[in-house]
Amino acid sequence: MYQYSQEDHQLLQERVSQFRDQVARRLKGDLSEDEFKQQRLRNGLYLQLHAYMLRVAVPYGLLSSEQMRTLAHIARTYDRGYGHFSTRQNIQYNWPKLEDVPKILDDLAAVEMHAIQTSGNCIRNTTSDPLAGVARDEIADPRPYCELIRQWSTFHPEFNFLPRKFKIAVSGATHDRAAVAVHDIGLRLVKNDADELGMEVYVGGGLGRTPMIGKLIREFLPPHDMLTYLEAILRVYNKLGRRDNLYKARIKILVHETGEEKFRELVEEEWQQVKTSSLRLRDEDIKNIEAHFKDPEYEKLSDFDVDYDKELISDPMFANWADKNIELHKKDGYRVVYLSLKSRNQPTGDVTADQMDAIADLADKYSLGAIRSTHRQNLVLSDVKLSDLHSLWQELTALDLATPNYNHLTDIISCPGMDYCALATARSIPIAQALTERFDAYDFINDLGDISLNISGCINACGHHHVANIGILGVNKKGVEVYQLTLGGSAREDASIGKIIGPAFTADEIVDAVSDVLDVYLTNREDPEETFLTAYRRLGQGPFKEKLYG
Amino acid sequence: MAFQVYTASLLKEGLVAYLCIDTDGAFWSTELNKAVTTETQKVDTLKALAEQAEKDNIVIAAYAIDVEATSNGISPLENRERIRANGPTVLLPQSTDLNAANIRAA
Repeated sequence: MYQYSQEDHQLLQERVSQFRDQVARRLKGDLSEDEFKQQRLRNGLYLQLHAYMLRVAVPYGLLSSEQMRTLAHIARTYDRGYGHFSTRQNIQYNWPKLEDVPKILDDLAAVEMHAIQTSGNCIRNTTSDPLAGVARDEIADPRPYCELIRQWSTFHPEFNFLPRKFKIAVSGATHDRAAVAVHDIGLRLVKNDADELGMEVYVGGGLGRTPMIGKLIREFLPPHDMLTYLEAILRVYNKLGRRDNLYKARIKILVHETGEEKFRELVEEEWQQVKTSSLRLRDEDIKNIEAHFKDPEYEKLSDFDVDYDKELISDPMFANWADKNIELHKKDGYRVVYLSLKSRNQPTGDVTADQMDAIADLADKYSLGAIRSTHRQNLVLSDVKLSDLHSLWQELTALDLATPNYNHLTDIISCPGMDYCALATARSIPIAQALTERFDAYDFINDLGDISLNISGCINACGHHHVANIGILGVNKKGVEVYQLTLGGSAREDASIGKIIGPAFTADEIVDAVSDVLDVYLTNREDPEETFLTAYRRLGQGPFKEKLYG
Repeated sequence: MAFQVYTASLLKEGLVAYLCIDTDGAFWSTELNKAVTTETQKVDTLKALAEQAEKDNIVIAAYAIDVEATSNGISPLENRERIRANGPTVLLPQSTDLNAANIRAA
């Protein structure tokens, strides 16, 4: 992991000190709410439906066990005993008191964490592949590039008041686990024919009320040019992005209205101004950051473990979990383990302080002290030995963190919806829970395979419903919560925006509607290997519409 | 007949609060049933009190909501406001120190 320099520490301490002063002035009445709002938002503090909400950055989803214990301490000491992992790999606290927030920021700073730029019209937390550095299909480790972007974008004076918020994702693998196509900027590490490393640069992706897939504006950008090129894109956006209409202020609208080719020209033109500036990365700049992400001391192990195989045969529950929640690791004898935050008993993405402490202990015991958060609102232990998997599974089961559903139907992304969010127009958590209740066993019996189901509680689409194979959007229609179904979305390398299938359903009808959709899939799939998305793309909307409305 | 109450968020805690009036004057409570209700056409009196509370840094983001009287007391007409008044409609995650958390939340 990246270790803070003395300068980094000082920067954070100064920021906390500033905010402590701003809070004191606000509480005394020396700052009005209008004056204070911009300050609190710059420090990740929102006012939500029931209380303040503090969003803490988890840079590209990496957490140490020590940081996780601090998150548990904050949940226990200043909040109501739990936190919520979001689709930006961050964690949110739903009930902090204003006067406690500087103390929370102090605690975070002590473990090199903060809430800076987790809100406001600035460059937000860069997200990445939760398997970065350990994935078997990795072309190059994206974490050093994420860190370079973090350092470049933190307190960037020119980009502190952009037309709108700005989100960047970086992926370094063949399979896209970071949803790069639906970010303001998505970077995909690739190699050219000469085996040189570069980046595909996608711009103008996003969800919300106008979902769009990012446009590839540069097919191969040398890594040394990454920051100068990002600077050029941001400058064009900062200059030309709309500030007169909140709903048309994201870069996706600018790219769409300008046209892909013209936008590319504008960026290239701007790039000429900064291309050779001091922002251009030198070899040593990249190497210095890469040094923070060196492989740990892996043991030389066989990729075959006789005890593990025996446990798979003798324990069907373990085998089912292992089949769904474990992925291959780049090193033989190790595996990547997904900790499901999608049990029947807690809202999606929520983790109690007790669970956080236990996860930290498990990370130390089984996974070299590291934890990752995922954009699908789960956690990952990235370096678990094959021989430890059964013991780990038993401990995770006791903690209710072993629901065997990764990338399956009940691995539902859900925004907090109207149960917490001031912007939401419908509830999403109760629908997610009803779907989980209904389809948990159904999936097991029918083997639905790789499928995604996401729910948003309003058009802002924080639950990523547009890019789910089955998406649900909750809206308020004449005072009643209704739920619109979209089908055919994907957030992966074959990214696509789902299409609305027809009129919305009531809360009482939506679970049956999803059941109908699944019935059509099961009836029509060519074989169990054909995924829902492949089948949908082959079949089109017709049979689904017929079943739902015919 | 439609009634209204004034709601806001407490500056210090961020919690949902309602404008109340007793013999000592105006105050803010997290309990909706203590709120002062008024007929819609007379809501300006409450608005003035709410704006003063904002100026006095007691609450933020004050606004009026429609309510009705039910056998269980005052109930907002809109679903969003019912959730604000009663809390999340789902079971919250339970840490073993829930009692302590509840005490802190009170």
